[in-house]
Amino acid sequence: MADLLFPKAALVACNGGCRNESCPYGCIGCGMCVAICPFDAIAINKNGVAEVNESKCQGCGACVTECPQGIIRLHEAGSPIVVKCANRDSGKAARAACQVSCIGCGICEKACPSGAARVEDNLSSIDEALCLACGMCAVKCPRHAIYDLRGVLTKIN
Amino acid sequence: MATFFVNGRSVTATKSQSLLRFLRDELRLTSVKDGCSEGACGACTVIIDGETCRACVPKTDQLEGRHIITVEGLSDWEKKLYTFAYGEAGAVQCGFCIPGMVLCTKALLDKVQDPTEKEIRHAIRNNYCRCTGYVKIIQAIQLAAKLKKEGAIPEPTETDWKLGSSVHRLDVEEKVLGYGKYPDDWYLPGMTYGSAVRSQYARARVLSIDAEKAKALPGVVAVITAEDIPGENKVGHIKHDQYSLIPVGGLTHYLGDAIALVVAEDQETLEKAKKLVKVTYEPLPAVHGPEEARLPDAPRVFDEEENNVQAYKHVARGDAEGAIAASKHVISRHFETPWTEHAFLEPECAVAYWDEDGFVRILSTDQSSHTTLHECKLLLGSEKVRVQNQLVGGGFGGKEDMSVQHHAALITYLTGRPVKVKFSRAESLLVHPKRHPFWMDFTIGCDENGIIQGVKASVYSDTGAFASLGGPVLERACTHASGPYNYQNFEIEGTAYYTNNPPAGAFRGFGVTQTCFAIESLLNEMAERIGISPWEIRYRNAIRPGQELPNGQIVGPETGLVETLEVIKPYYDAALAAGKPVGLACAMKNSGVGVGLPDWGRCKLIVEADEKVHIYSGASCIGQGLGTVLVQMVVTNTPLKREDIVYERSNTWIAPDSGDSSGSRQTLITGEACRRACEQLTSALQEKPLKALVGQEFYGEYLAKTDKLGADVPHPVSHVAYGYATQMAILDRDTGKIESMVAVHDVGKAVNPKSCEGQIEGGVVMSMGYALREQYPIDENCKPIDKFGKLGLFRAHEVPEIRAIVVDKPGLDKACGAIGIGEITSIPTAPAIAEAYYQLDGQRRTTLPLTNTPYERRG
Repeated sequence: MADLLFPKAALVACNGGCRNESCPYGCIGCGMCVAICPFDAIAINKNGVAEVNESKCQGCGACVTECPQGIIRLHEAGSPIVVKCANRDSGKAARAACQVSCIGCGICEKACPSGAARVEDNLSSIDEALCLACGMCAVKCPRHAIYDLRGVLTKIN
Repeated sequence: MATFFVNGRSVTATKSQSLLRFLRDELRLTSVKDGCSEGACGACTVIIDGETCRACVPKTDQLEGRHIITVEGLSDWEKKLYTFAYGEAGAVQCGFCIPGMVLCTKALLDKVQDPTEKEIRHAIRNNYCRCTGYVKIIQAIQLAAKLKKEGAIPEPTETDWKLGSSVHRLDVEEKVLGYGKYPDDWYLPGMTYGSAVRSQYARARVLSIDAEKAKALPGVVAVITAEDIPGENKVGHIKHDQYSLIPVGGLTHYLGDAIALVVAEDQETLEKAKKLVKVTYEPLPAVHGPEEARLPDAPRVFDEEENNVQAYKHVARGDAEGAIAASKHVISRHFETPWTEHAFLEPECAVAYWDEDGFVRILSTDQSSHTTLHECKLLLGSEKVRVQNQLVGGGFGGKEDMSVQHHAALITYLTGRPVKVKFSRAESLLVHPKRHPFWMDFTIGCDENGIIQGVKASVYSDTGAFASLGGPVLERACTHASGPYNYQNFEIEGTAYYTNNPPAGAFRGFGVTQTCFAIESLLNEMAERIGISPWEIRYRNAIRPGQELPNGQIVGPETGLVETLEVIKPYYDAALAAGKPVGLACAMKNSGVGVGLPDWGRCKLIVEADEKVHIYSGASCIGQGLGTVLVQMVVTNTPLKREDIVYERSNTWIAPDSGDSSGSRQTLITGEACRRACEQLTSALQEKPLKALVGQEFYGEYLAKTDKLGADVPHPVSHVAYGYATQMAILDRDTGKIESMVAVHDVGKAVNPKSCEGQIEGGVVMSMGYALREQYPIDENCKPIDKFGKLGLFRAHEVPEIRAIVVDKPGLDKACGAIGIGEITSIPTAPAIAEAYYQLDGQRRTTLPLTNTPYERRG
């Protein structure tokens, strides 16, 4: 049986807390992904950043190659706990750039019961093969950079 | 403060706390089980606004306006639906994960009417189950979906309750709906909370204990140290070497040793007070493993012992060395197997209080209420103790020792107050005895036809910080190291060493899982050397009725190893013909303690005022389904019907001592005692109707008589019966993963075939973990470093097809021919998988977990 049971969906690793101004890593709201998406699954949200509608996304990956910032990747559509940030700057700079940036503090790594959350290069990531979707990292993240896409443990936007 | 809805009712949480604590401690919705409080296990799963979520994760303050559902809040129709589906599928064993699984089922079926198997596996993949291997839970969900769509619940398929009938287990409803009580579900008036301050060092001398600050904290009831113990400090299953509390001046043996017990009015105060107990130590060099333990100048783990050897066993018959020297083919290999954690879903918990008759009453979750009674009486120096088993959320050998029961008893005895002592998951991982790691050197000699001439072996194990069942585990590892084959030249010596690691003790398979990996792997290599198949070498050597095992025992007519090989043959041939990598292994496992030890089964049938027969036996149902087995025994052996019979959970004052739930013994040993009690009841019923027997007791007992190890008789009877099995692993050549497992088990007479299958599926999946992924790493400070979620337990989406096949072979004249199934399900799995990987890539693997597989852990 394959590891990933459910189809992939695109994930934009930015939640737009900087309002497009000061973060060199985040979504710039250019709309290239919106334009290329054959399924009308991406829109620019109220924070001015691209957001994927997983019920429409077919995981084709067109947006992944199109994104000039390189911050869209495919993830397991059924895995709801995600890091929506791509900022690799050190804590101080990352904090200055955005209200909801990952500062690499490592609280997620400590809170994670299964070894899925890891901080590398000042940025948290979640190994979805190990993730138990408990959301402990999302609840404990002091920067609100980790989200529950179902909207249960964190509010979306 | 937040206001939200629980099961449709508006509630307000004034203090911000985890949703789990609020639901359990304030609303007393105890179906929401506390399995880890770390987000890992899934036992506390609830539904929040239609999505499954662990209750231990969100704080109540985050939940304003949310709608939360627990199983208590299901509609009556849903309650009936899930109870039926889980019962019909045989999906309920210990039951601790079940309410969470039921809510995963509901959340899925509320969204998807016809879920695929893939979707079902996905829906429960974040919830761990350690008993079932998920197979029957998946089937239960499929059935629930079908019935929900049809809108009607049928009658159970099987209803006659005789042996051989797959009736719904009697504890299904209380476990599905979560109203059955585990110790943690008790909240007594005036109940205090107790917990141990544990050693900071694996090996150190305790110089002083200062509890004044802790005692001064408001809300602290008592701080108890070794000098307060009224009876014997040291308890233990067989050898009394387990300190209940380390005294000042005493040596600590591992990080789990308790130094002081703190008792407080509430859990928050308890945690604060524990930090205020100041202990000073003289840290000493620790013993990290057997290699260090056996050095002549090694530090001694125990002040009381001359060296670190906990047990030594030597088993020999015939002339192994001579036979090997004369053999045409000889192979020698070294094997290693790791520590394993039981990972039962329910952490240890005990509640104690003074009962109305002036006894310290212990409500426990353990594998024998009578063993708990003996050890607690010893500790308290008092006969005034009673133990009552509650539901037991899995044991697998890990709940045979004192963990919390003795501490709870001591606290109530000294303070007079009711108390709950409950392990955190981290404490559970640290404290209770694990599966022994083994280091093994084996040599096998065969003739040109692959007939085994002789086997010689030398093994040692790490038994950690106290004996627990280290001696018997070593003994069983040695007596079964020969495998279930017909040859008579066998010699093995084994040593178990004390170290400052966590203790090792009983674990499903009891030492045989380890030596079976060695002997079966060797046999597979030998088959290749001879040029015959792994199946053929086993068929040629398999023990058959009337033949003599390497331990000298002549096996009875019930011996069914050959039948398991014959049943698996078509599957084996088909997989080979399809060009798939296949591995095979066999095993035998004793049912009953054996080797000359007093092994009593006892059972009382009492006709009570309700004009029903109540079954009392001091034998724990730990999820394996003993209660159902005994009721099926009574229905089979008396003229009574199911509705005339009540199963009572084990206690120590009415139910007679029927030994531990250990050694795959309860179905056979207690089953036979029950059958004997039935004979008496039946003859009484020939004279009078049941209602005329109110107040009468019918007692049955059975001593499973065996010869001691090395007894000077021509054919010693080591055990009254053995179960036999052949298991097979089939790999997918493309992914390198297991495509399916086939497990064929000879169980004599299957009491409840579906329950039997459930045991097999659970055992196979547990040992897939053992074979492929599970570890229990210990660091340089003798500290286990992994959390529950990192142990590597298999999850629902990773489990391949498991085909469990039960073979009935009559012949045993006890317990209507039923032989225990509990342990053997886990024994041949690892060598079968190792052989399949050899067939895939040509690499012989001699250590567990197996390396270079797609299951290997990263990081």
